[in-house]
Amino acid sequence: MAEIWGFWRNDNWGGRSWAFMVFLGIMVLHILAILLFTRGFLLTRTELSQYSQCSDVFDSPCFPPKNHNVNNSSRASGCWTKPSVDRLVIIVLDAIRFDFVAPSTFYTEKKPWMDKLQVIHELASQRPSSARIFKAIADPPTTSLQRLKGLTTGGLPTFIDVGNSFGAPAIVEDNLIHQLVANGKRVVMMGDDTWVQLFPHHFNESYPFPSFNVKDLHTVDDGCIKNLLPTLYKEDWDVLIAHFLGVDHAGHIFGVDSSPMIEKLEQYNGILKKVVEVLESQSGPGDLHENTMLLVMGDHGQTLNGDHGGGSAEEVETSIFALSLKKPPSSALAAFDKSTCQLDMQGRRICLSSIQQLDFTVTVSALLGLPFPFGSIGHVNSELFALAAGTWNLERLATHDRQSLSELDEWMQNYVNVLCINSWQVKKYIDVYSSLSLIGFSEKDLLHVSELYAQAQEFWSLTSKSSVLHENESSSTLLPAIKRQIEAYSAFLASVASLARSNWTEFNLKLMGIGFCVMLFSLFLHAFSIKRLDNLCGLYSPSCGDSRNTIGMIFACIAVLTRACSFLSNSYILEEGRVASFLLATTALLQLRCAIMKKMMLLEALALVFLVPFLRFSIELGQLKQAVSSLFLKIDPSRTLGINGDSQFWMSITQFVPILALLIVAYLLYKSIVCCSCHRILKYVIVGSLSNFLLIAIYWASNDNLLNLLMVPRAIRVNLIPRIIYAVGVIQVSLLAIVQLLVREKTLNLEGSTIFKVLALISAWSSTIIVISGKQGPLAVLALLIGGWCIIRLMRLEQDTDNNNSGSSLFYTLPVTQWNLLAVCMFFSTGHWCAFDGLRYAAAFVGFDEFNLIRQAILLTIDTFGFSHIFPIFGLPFLVACCCPPRQTKRLFSMRLCQVYLMYGLITAVSVTFTILCVTIQRRHLMVWGLFAPKFVFDVVGLVLADIMICLSSLYYIV
Amino acid sequence: MRSLGLRLQDEISHTLHDNQIWEASTLVHFKLFLYIVPLIFIWFYQQTKTVSKSIQTQTGLVSAFWAAQNFYSLNLLSNPAETLYLIWIVEASVVILLYSLFRHNPDKCSYFKAVGRALLGLPAGAIVNALGAIVLGAPVGLQHLRKTLHWSLLMSVLTFVPAASIFGSSWTDWHRIFAQTKPIGAIDYMICLPAHGAAIGAWFGAWPMPLDWERPWQEWPICVTYGAIFGYLAGMMTSFGFIVFKNWRRHVKRD
Repeated sequence: MAEIWGFWRNDNWGGRSWAFMVFLGIMVLHILAILLFTRGFLLTRTELSQYSQCSDVFDSPCFPPKNHNVNNSSRASGCWTKPSVDRLVIIVLDAIRFDFVAPSTFYTEKKPWMDKLQVIHELASQRPSSARIFKAIADPPTTSLQRLKGLTTGGLPTFIDVGNSFGAPAIVEDNLIHQLVANGKRVVMMGDDTWVQLFPHHFNESYPFPSFNVKDLHTVDDGCIKNLLPTLYKEDWDVLIAHFLGVDHAGHIFGVDSSPMIEKLEQYNGILKKVVEVLESQSGPGDLHENTMLLVMGDHGQTLNGDHGGGSAEEVETSIFALSLKKPPSSALAAFDKSTCQLDMQGRRICLSSIQQLDFTVTVSALLGLPFPFGSIGHVNSELFALAAGTWNLERLATHDRQSLSELDEWMQNYVNVLCINSWQVKKYIDVYSSLSLIGFSEKDLLHVSELYAQAQEFWSLTSKSSVLHENESSSTLLPAIKRQIEAYSAFLASVASLARSNWTEFNLKLMGIGFCVMLFSLFLHAFSIKRLDNLCGLYSPSCGDSRNTIGMIFACIAVLTRACSFLSNSYILEEGRVASFLLATTALLQLRCAIMKKMMLLEALALVFLVPFLRFSIELGQLKQAVSSLFLKIDPSRTLGINGDSQFWMSITQFVPILALLIVAYLLYKSIVCCSCHRILKYVIVGSLSNFLLIAIYWASNDNLLNLLMVPRAIRVNLIPRIIYAVGVIQVSLLAIVQLLVREKTLNLEGSTIFKVLALISAWSSTIIVISGKQGPLAVLALLIGGWCIIRLMRLEQDTDNNNSGSSLFYTLPVTQWNLLAVCMFFSTGHWCAFDGLRYAAAFVGFDEFNLIRQAILLTIDTFGFSHIFPIFGLPFLVACCCPPRQTKRLFSMRLCQVYLMYGLITAVSVTFTILCVTIQRRHLMVWGLFAPKFVFDVVGLVLADIMICLSSLYYIV
Repeated sequence: MRSLGLRLQDEISHTLHDNQIWEASTLVHFKLFLYIVPLIFIWFYQQTKTVSKSIQTQTGLVSAFWAAQNFYSLNLLSNPAETLYLIWIVEASVVILLYSLFRHNPDKCSYFKAVGRALLGLPAGAIVNALGAIVLGAPVGLQHLRKTLHWSLLMSVLTFVPAASIFGSSWTDWHRIFAQTKPIGAIDYMICLPAHGAAIGAWFGAWPMPLDWERPWQEWPICVTYGAIFGYLAGMMTSFGFIVFKNWRRHVKRD
């Protein structure tokens, strides 16, 4: 205890070990806060790679279908359940709202987009026992990819499914399509190419069309239509999936209440009419579509603006329309009818039922007689299942005598058996999941679920016994038992679904709150350390005690807070780069005014002022790239400069300017080692980066065919040079570490040696970062150099007036803030943005052709955070070293360094704290998965990286 | 005064009957300011007769503004460039003619010389303002050229032209007003505070631009212009208050 207290004594403050401990402590706090918050916010689920097998069902306590009617089943018997449907036509209409399908009489007011799918109303009213409109309730996140995953796996995909492969979205979990293929069904797919990405090797035939271009309303739909009707006449498939995208795209572009949307719906009405005609024409006994089921469904809804992704009722409610071409007895459906019926505009009686989208997979599996996907937690929906009840009846009429059991009883027994298998499969999944997953379910919940299951099983043994006994008797006693059994299973399945929902789709507010509080605490600790160092600093140097508030300092605080508060709105997050450049420009203009007032440093102030618009132009160019891939950013194309990129002149400019900039950077570096005297190894390091720059120039020149290196094989040209550069970079950095560890030099000129250390470290990183970030690299480095130089020089403005007031931390507030704003601008102007498509994946493959997760992830990180974190943080000591009164004591110097790093860390942490706050407030926002969550992930990763780098630099710089 | 208030109310209810509530409310806002400001000035004019000259400037300025709005039914939303053009023309003529009356060293410098240097100051100030706007994030491009041009001319009228006509090329005075913000006399206040008000107002006016409300006034340079004008008027009123306050102090001391 005494030792710990001793550590906090005043004379330790500002020392290297103290600084390292403080930075480490802050980092640990940040990581703790982030982990706690993330645990509550980013719901994670582990993907299990187990698959259900056909033979698994014999382990279950239920009756597999083969035990029943082995002899007399004419067609191929099912696997887990008795198949009641032979062929399935699934038509997915992307982003179909429930009110597109439901009759307008169910709503208080008729809107122009209602009642457009008349063919569905007609069928639902004409054959109430074999056609039914369901309200399908999806689970958030309601994005197409997650919904397709959910529809096929029967699970609840989350924002981050642990086990996701890098880049490729192919589903690794057990899913409906896998089961179809594994059980010999032939699947044909047409439409949205997302399916092909999710299931690359599953389809017998596929007609994918690009879903990328949102403005294109027709390519996917026309492609579907062209292939759909001919395929319906063919025999070579069992399941057909047609995914139409027009409504989704029309919503994104025009909104729901628009004429393109209504045209799309009318077009779909026509197509559906044709499809139904074809199916009906072939539905006679022995025909192609005798036992076919048609499902017309949406994957999610949309808001009136056409957005989706969140959990609001409009987005979650979509529709499934099911039509079985064989007419079942009305009694089966009636047994579980929970529908609401109403007359539509033409006076037809239409009934609506409700289904959870979660239950879709397992119900379809049961209809087709497939094993249920391993990870499915759905519940076989009685109403959808009953629609196909007709197929058994015909058989029963042929084989059994009429007296034994009523139709209803037999159907009920079958359904109970299916539910038994269903419950057994879900229980198995829950058990396996909680034993394998890192973050499983809580003990209490698991116990509750197990109890419910045990209860249901107990009933089951009684029921099955009695049903065996009473097989040939009238079943007045049997029916209530079966009903009770169904209720027991339903209770179990419902409790599992609610448990899964609370784990995978609901935020844990308590954990989020704790995480946020820890983050706040770390902020206070940060501020306290700065204040404390400030006071101590006053003790050590008499000149820096009085801290006069300056306009610069106040404005710095305002700028940091403004930027942080701007994260509370989604529009400012989208324009984050421009906000940062606006604030940076404002500080620069203020300094320009100050410079005019004091009649000094005019050139530097002007240079900084005119650097900002260049940063902004490149930020806008980056946004333009983003606008192509993002639906949120409605950028007007007029913002771009009218440069025609194809002309010869611009081509040559883009080839030569980077190399020229590279030469300038190299020249500056060369100048700096010529005029300085320092340790020899440091000099070697810088010479190493100079030679690297030369290599980079050769590399680019050869890639652009400016240099004729054709005799050198391509593999060497393209891959060898970057690899050499990486290797040299690693050697340089390790050399610096060794120098730091082994060589203890007593230098009188502390500032000079620090500047040189910074230079060496930055030059060691620079060649790697430049080669990864490509042609824009040297320009960005140049911009960073100019910006940094201006900021450092402009510090004199304040220093001069305050007469050596530079010891106070308040003096550094404005430069550190500007440094941070510049870093943020650099992040955006090098073509990044806070979304996963903002990562420059191409950068990860500079020098390598093949994929290796760790190696490519490291390269990608360096590319993403190189200009915004590595350079600014390692270069931060320049602020202290370049602009200090000379001959300050070692102790004072390291204290100031410490303060500057603390301040930089505080500024980063404040903005992350506000991001966290914003994400908490907006967690039910429409764009939470599209915008806020990626922003949160980027910020958090950036904060942890910044903390790590601050720790390392405290070891490296602070003496 | 009461009749004026009634007229105002009438006007508000009248314009709100239209369905274009949005456009109407901006107009009403504008007119509110334009009515209220001269009202206050007139009231003050009766109270303190010592600063009559500066008041004349301001009332003249504001009524010119009002005329520009009423005679031509242009507005900023539908055709920003034309409206800005009109505003700065009217504004510039009033400002130049009035401020030139208060030129420094009236003995050495004729009235026409003051007008001439104000006219020279106009494009120079426009260039500075346009550069400042571009640094802060104004869009660059041919289709924005006209809007930016007229906007920067208006800003120049609000900020640079008065100083140019009064001080000419006297660097020390410019420096005192714009870099050090140390106004001394009544004229200094009248130049310094409205100019700073206009610049700060324009800076704040840019804030709503990135929001996704999709309102027509979020376009460059409409909300920035609103911000600048409100800032300018606020600066005017503050400077007026300062002058009145100083006069009152002087009276008290004398007594």
